[in-house]
Amino acid sequence: MEGAFQVLFNILSFTSIMVLVVLGLGVIASMMGIFNFAHGEFLLLGGYTAYLFDIWGLPVWLGIAAAPFVVGFVGVVLERTIIHRFYAAPIVAMLGTYAIGLIIRESVRGLISGMYLRVPEPLVGMFSVGDISVSKWRVAVIVITILVVTGSYILLNRTSFGLRVRASLENPELARASGISTSQIYAATFAFGAALAGLAGAMMVPLFSLYADMGLRFLIQGFLAVMLGGIGTFEGPVLGGGVIGAMTAGLPHMVNPILADVLVFVIAIVLVKMKPMGLLAKGRK
Amino acid sequence: MTKVIKNDRTEGQLTRRSFLQSAMWMSGAVATGLGSWVFPAKWSHAAGPIKVGIATDLTGPIAFGGIPCSRIAKLAIDQINDNGGILGRPLEMYLEDTASNEQIAVGVVRKLVQRNRVDVVLGGITSSMRNAIKDIIVGRGRTLYIYPQLYEGRECTPNLFCTGPTPAQQCDDLIPWLIANGGKRFALPSANYVWPHVLNEYARKSIEDNGGEVVLEEYYPLDQVEYGATVKKIMDEKVDVVFNTVIPPGLGPFIKQLYEGGFLKRGGRLSCVYYDENALNINSPQEMEGLASCLDYFQNIEDPFSAELQAAYQKRHAHKDKVLFSAGSGSTGMYRGVKLWEAAVTEAGAVDRDSVAAALDHAKIANGPGGPSNMVPGTYHCQMNMYIAVAKGGKYEIISKADQVHPKECG
Repeated sequence: MEGAFQVLFNILSFTSIMVLVVLGLGVIASMMGIFNFAHGEFLLLGGYTAYLFDIWGLPVWLGIAAAPFVVGFVGVVLERTIIHRFYAAPIVAMLGTYAIGLIIRESVRGLISGMYLRVPEPLVGMFSVGDISVSKWRVAVIVITILVVTGSYILLNRTSFGLRVRASLENPELARASGISTSQIYAATFAFGAALAGLAGAMMVPLFSLYADMGLRFLIQGFLAVMLGGIGTFEGPVLGGGVIGAMTAGLPHMVNPILADVLVFVIAIVLVKMKPMGLLAKGRK
Repeated sequence: MTKVIKNDRTEGQLTRRSFLQSAMWMSGAVATGLGSWVFPAKWSHAAGPIKVGIATDLTGPIAFGGIPCSRIAKLAIDQINDNGGILGRPLEMYLEDTASNEQIAVGVVRKLVQRNRVDVVLGGITSSMRNAIKDIIVGRGRTLYIYPQLYEGRECTPNLFCTGPTPAQQCDDLIPWLIANGGKRFALPSANYVWPHVLNEYARKSIEDNGGEVVLEEYYPLDQVEYGATVKKIMDEKVDVVFNTVIPPGLGPFIKQLYEGGFLKRGGRLSCVYYDENALNINSPQEMEGLASCLDYFQNIEDPFSAELQAAYQKRHAHKDKVLFSAGSGSTGMYRGVKLWEAAVTEAGAVDRDSVAAALDHAKIANGPGGPSNMVPGTYHCQMNMYIAVAKGGKYEIISKADQVHPKECG
């Protein structure tokens, strides 16, 4: 019984991280129609912010709270200076954002001298009930993920800002004709996606340690998750992130870990083949 | 398409001038090399300098090892130059960034050997890097190659000398110690590449010869960061000792999850043979309490020369970052390699490959990181002191020292 609970908790904890990672990528892909290949490095910048707060002697939780603002600001600057030039050409946007990511990654690598560095958890220790004990920080990650996903859903689907974002995506000309500044909306949406990545990076860095390539693996899996869930909706990428996260953490319990790693991709690609528009194929209503 | 053909220069199409500018810039970048540095000595000699090529990973995922390796190589070469060079000639250091990428490495190493015509190449951290560059150096390049990192053994290529620890040096004392101080049931969680596979073959034999058993041997993708399933198997199998060869980035999360899973609380013993002072930054002290490692050098061994060397490194670099001079990164092998090569060139009285290789075959140094060292003739590997250390409260405590351990390679 304890064993089964531990397995479920591990899967849930990793799935939460994956969902949080995919959320920002999905928001930018769904709302703006471009794949942000610098997303992994936005995670890295979030993690680096938390690390800086720690070495400056400030509480890590403050670093985690600051990370979305710092990375969101970086997102605005990049969108206004570079990214907005790519909207007409999504393929060029992929290459362009990849190049930006590479520059960020190698800069951070230089700053931390290529080291793998520890960032302490803001909540240390375990919750224990009987024989079952779970890490407090992993529980916090699950709770915060639920709150962030809910908050983002409400923001994009239940507020006038969300309405303007969706209007700008679905019909930019009409949106502009209706007095919506689509360029500002795009900048804000990109910053929001970057901020979500910053938060995800800062929250996961106490679990995985800080290193320059931390975003790479999550970028590839995140990309797959967005494809799996389907572009154009908020729910699709979140669901895709959940499926990929659960498979990544769950499959090694059943098969050899090397095979599990491959299987995640094989299963996801088969699913994408069967449902090319994503698991939530109908798109936004 | 017609737009491009039109003579409209504001569209940003290729003009002769822009093409020439781009070509000049590109050829300049390729010719000078973006990751290349030359460090000449402060003095010169009529016969010219002896050229030392250092090819290591200054960028990319293995930069954590390449950065201290390059620094200690520079320190060793500066020390030699300050003491009058070798054969009266100064050393000139050619540093190339292999960028943790074998394809890039092949190009830059070819440059070192063919264009810069260095007299020796030292470097490479991973075995895949060594395998990628060795033929360019010792085969077609007809140059001496010294590989500094601890590795899986079995490298017996003539003119390629290994100055880091081998599996025998790392396991022969450690495994009996782990059985006595941990237990008999071993798990071998490992990253899926050549070093863990070959090291585990040696470790498994050593475990079984000493009365232990391997209850779990599993390999993971190099970038895996979720180890819940592995930790569950380790706990279910009642493993006493985890002999880890998972490497960063998986190392940090694996050790953390093992701790959270209650392995240490249950009295389990962790072991990892590349775990050095730099690795102490990855996890919190309580997560790696009792972790046993076996290396050729730790900062708190009692050896005055090692302490001086560490102080010299710290003086140069402590203000820059946290990267320490430690054994797991290949830095100790790098220093040992430069000094053994110096001894060989001095004895040979020449820098040509065959004379130096013949002298290097039995070269000795009285002082090095961790103590003296000498090449074991005919084996391309060297004897060195080996230390077992255990992490306690975020620091290492030296448990034992074995003098001049034989590499047991190529014999």
